[in-house]
Amino acid sequence: MAFSQPWLLWLLPLALLPLVFQRAHSKSYSWLDMLPPDPLSDLIGLILKILAVLTLLFIVLGLSAPHTKQQEIERIGVGAQIGLVLDRSASMDDPFSGTTESSLGETKSAAAARLITQFVQSRKNDMLGMITFSNSAMYVLPLTENKEAMVAAVRATAGNALFQTNIGSGLTSGAGLFDKVPDSGSRAVILLSDGGGRISADTQQKIRDWFDRMHISLYWIVLREPGGLSIFDKNYAPNPDKALPPEIELYEFFKTMKTEFHAYEADDPKSLQLAIDDINRKEKKPIKYLEKIPGKDLSNACLVIAAIMITILLGIKYLEVKTWH
Amino acid sequence: MTIKDIKEFSYHIGWRNRGRHPGRHASTQRGMGMEFIGHTSLISYPDPRRIDLRQTIRDPMEQVYVRLFNQKSSTPVFVICDLSGSMNFGAKERKIRKAADIAESIARSATRNSDPFGFVGFDDMVREDWISTASFKSHRAIELAERLKEHHPDAVSGAGISDVWRYLPRERSLVFLISDFHMPHEQLESSLANLLRHHIVPVVLWDADEYTNLPENGITSVTDPESGAKRTLFLRKNYRNKIIAAFEARREAIYKLFMEFDMPPFYVEGDFDADKLTEYFHQFVAA
Repeated sequence: MAFSQPWLLWLLPLALLPLVFQRAHSKSYSWLDMLPPDPLSDLIGLILKILAVLTLLFIVLGLSAPHTKQQEIERIGVGAQIGLVLDRSASMDDPFSGTTESSLGETKSAAAARLITQFVQSRKNDMLGMITFSNSAMYVLPLTENKEAMVAAVRATAGNALFQTNIGSGLTSGAGLFDKVPDSGSRAVILLSDGGGRISADTQQKIRDWFDRMHISLYWIVLREPGGLSIFDKNYAPNPDKALPPEIELYEFFKTMKTEFHAYEADDPKSLQLAIDDINRKEKKPIKYLEKIPGKDLSNACLVIAAIMITILLGIKYLEVKTWH
Repeated sequence: MTIKDIKEFSYHIGWRNRGRHPGRHASTQRGMGMEFIGHTSLISYPDPRRIDLRQTIRDPMEQVYVRLFNQKSSTPVFVICDLSGSMNFGAKERKIRKAADIAESIARSATRNSDPFGFVGFDDMVREDWISTASFKSHRAIELAERLKEHHPDAVSGAGISDVWRYLPRERSLVFLISDFHMPHEQLESSLANLLRHHIVPVVLWDADEYTNLPENGITSVTDPESGAKRTLFLRKNYRNKIIAAFEARREAIYKLFMEFDMPPFYVEGDFDADKLTEYFHQFVAA
């Protein structure tokens, strides 16, 4: 039980006024000793006083807006704490078929948004957070159980974007989502990007350390243009004179991570769906989580009680003798 | 109210008083009266106007006799009036107003009978500011009664009744005790015992609104004008009957008490009728 306006409780002594002050319109009678004792009358007098006191009490209580405290119930469900790290670079607005050909078909970001929305809605007990990144990370939504907020956040990812892809910043921010959140035992970051980006050695070390410390597994979904370089290509022979392509380099780095890592490649919405379904299957461990039940507002109940009592008092007022001197 | 409007009544007393002042009541005072009480010698009562020739001649010792008479004397008439809080009660007319009317009527009647009239008011003590000493001129008392009509008693009890006897003369007087007698039985009894020297006429002021005219049904809060205590009443037929029964029992109780002291009470409920008081004297006081 808590009060939104606790200072109004200082008015509570006002409720005792009916006991201190007598009724103003009391009639004068010559000698009360002449009136024989009548328990019913005494009882009514007492009830009237109590009613008046309670009326004032409930009005003051109602004004001070009491409510029950927010409750947290520990529940065990199947789910995970998942941080979504979405690529918002401009290339995501291209269709899967790439920019060179006709721009027919669903864009990568729209497909991602659609499928992630389905994913979010299919997961009952997950806590989801979201980070988007292009040239730097944008903090969108902390880990939350609120599905509506999540769906709205996914929807909000559409729009104009920059051309750069700063995966390192996205991943560190994604790991930051799990900071100060109790560990449920199942934590994952889903990195959805098209192509790769280079990460400096410092950042690599930082990502490796953070993911390890917070026990976060990583799922990487690469949206690949058809015919593009595949990270799973066994036959790919690196050109010794050049640096590795960013996708390959990133894949090599992720493989060195101490925590679990899975990579998926998707070159059309269907394969993207398959990747997400796979993650959905894997991230199903029993987790403990706290369900928050919001406090109930009791002020209306107080005011209704006060109104009922005032009605009773008015009814008694109606019964009051008016014809006598 | 002008003096002409005040209704008078006639009264008499059943005992001989000893007042020197000529009046209309039988007295033990020798003087210029009509009531022959015997002879004595001129030596002992040297009033040659009253020489009784017949008795003088018949006496072989040749003494000169005079006739003796008792004069008619005046008797002090007092009103002792309750000024306690309960006298403020009254629907149409407050009791204290009615008491003032009755006091005026008594004052006028006393003056008519050449009797001195005095007024003593009391609430929880005898109120010196509401005292008018016995006087043959009633104007002061009437002026006081006029003021009394506008007097609104404070929340005080009527305990002063037990001291009121100190303010009355030693000689036996006719005393009208005007009150609603809403006071504890023991207090009333001890006060009446102190007043036994005088001829007391208790004038009981009750108001029909106190009991028979109560509302049929309803809830009301009542205040005691003397103690300030409050009570909530839920009036209903059953309870009304109880109240009326309580008042009847009270009437019975004070009647019994007054009759123990040989003071038949005179009830005033509603308007004061001076003729009723005349009847009262014819009925209860031997002429």
